[in-house]
Amino acid sequence: MTLELAIRLTEILLGISLVQQSIEHLQLHKLLRVLYLFRIILALLLIIGLQVYWVSIFLLLLAVFILHRFQGPYNGGADRMSLLVLCCVCLYYFAPSKYWQEIAFAYLAIQLLLSYFISGWVKLINSDWRNGRALRDVFQFSAYPVSESIRTWSESPRLLFLMSWSIILFELLLPMLIMSEITLAIALVIAACFHFVNACIFGLNRFFWAWIAAYPSVLWLQLRLFTNS
Amino acid sequence: MLKTIKLLLPALLPSWRFFDTIGPSPRIQYALLRSENDSSQQWYEFRPRSKHVSFGQMLTRMVWNPNWNESLFLTSCAERLRENATFHSENEIMRCIIADFKAHLLSSNQEDANFIQFRLLFIERQKNKFEHNVTFYSQLKELPKREFSDS
Repeated sequence: MTLELAIRLTEILLGISLVQQSIEHLQLHKLLRVLYLFRIILALLLIIGLQVYWVSIFLLLLAVFILHRFQGPYNGGADRMSLLVLCCVCLYYFAPSKYWQEIAFAYLAIQLLLSYFISGWVKLINSDWRNGRALRDVFQFSAYPVSESIRTWSESPRLLFLMSWSIILFELLLPMLIMSEITLAIALVIAACFHFVNACIFGLNRFFWAWIAAYPSVLWLQLRLFTNS
Repeated sequence: MLKTIKLLLPALLPSWRFFDTIGPSPRIQYALLRSENDSSQQWYEFRPRSKHVSFGQMLTRMVWNPNWNESLFLTSCAERLRENATFHSENEIMRCIIADFKAHLLSSNQEDANFIQFRLLFIERQKNKFEHNVTFYSQLKELPKREFSDS
């Protein structure tokens, strides 16, 4: 995968993510409707690849305005990842040379890998995660489960223990699978399924779209590091 | 400019410590009051979760989930209020409660109410026991007039 193709795929996936987020805001914030309509138009231009240089700058300015409006990210990690992807796309277009373009895009790939590894590490060093208690808490009383029936999963400690260790090991191992194209592809499919499940049971749909927008960067980095030599 | 950098920095240098510890979890509760001195408050949970969500609904929510995402934002506002009370977070929560009141979406429908107040109840586990602590009471807010359909 060439750098240009990976950037184009990132732009398309980021555009889809931004359209999805903005359409939801059209219903919620009547006063901000014009702003989100403008963002949808810009995101569509990003998807079709028209004037991407200017479009990405305008999208970044809008993102800063939205950060001020909500005094921080509206949807925590999902908004932060979207913003990170957008910043890296902007940096790619602003970079003075191919070398710096690669640095900007590699930074996105490294942050994506870190997003899994650090999440796994902080769980591994927490005894509540190792014995399944933390995940039980998530289901039992956190604000995330989408229904009361999903809360009842907290009554299955053996299942939660297995789930906890599956999550910890998967998050820790994912960055190491970058060594091979095939293992990385498999890992990213599993990661996308993981985000899909999170979206279903915790309603974190924006995370799914935001994270997969960063996947082309790591696919490109894998080829850049281990194939092009 | 400093504020912009402060807002942008966590996206450019993220911590990625998702669910490292499961801290106190907020519930937003509201009370409808007849007058400012009404002490007969009965607290109701704001947007209680559904009993069951079907797989079909989950699939739809992959692309269209505005109310849940708004509720997650309000959870963030509640957590921010616990850390440091700000007018912005209080205002955002109140704005959503009043929007639901106007749309007849609140579970309590006390017709003679003139004021509304919300509070934040935090649930946390201490060893094997659950603790419920109320950490914040909002200012009272006068309720707007609602339109009623003929049906």
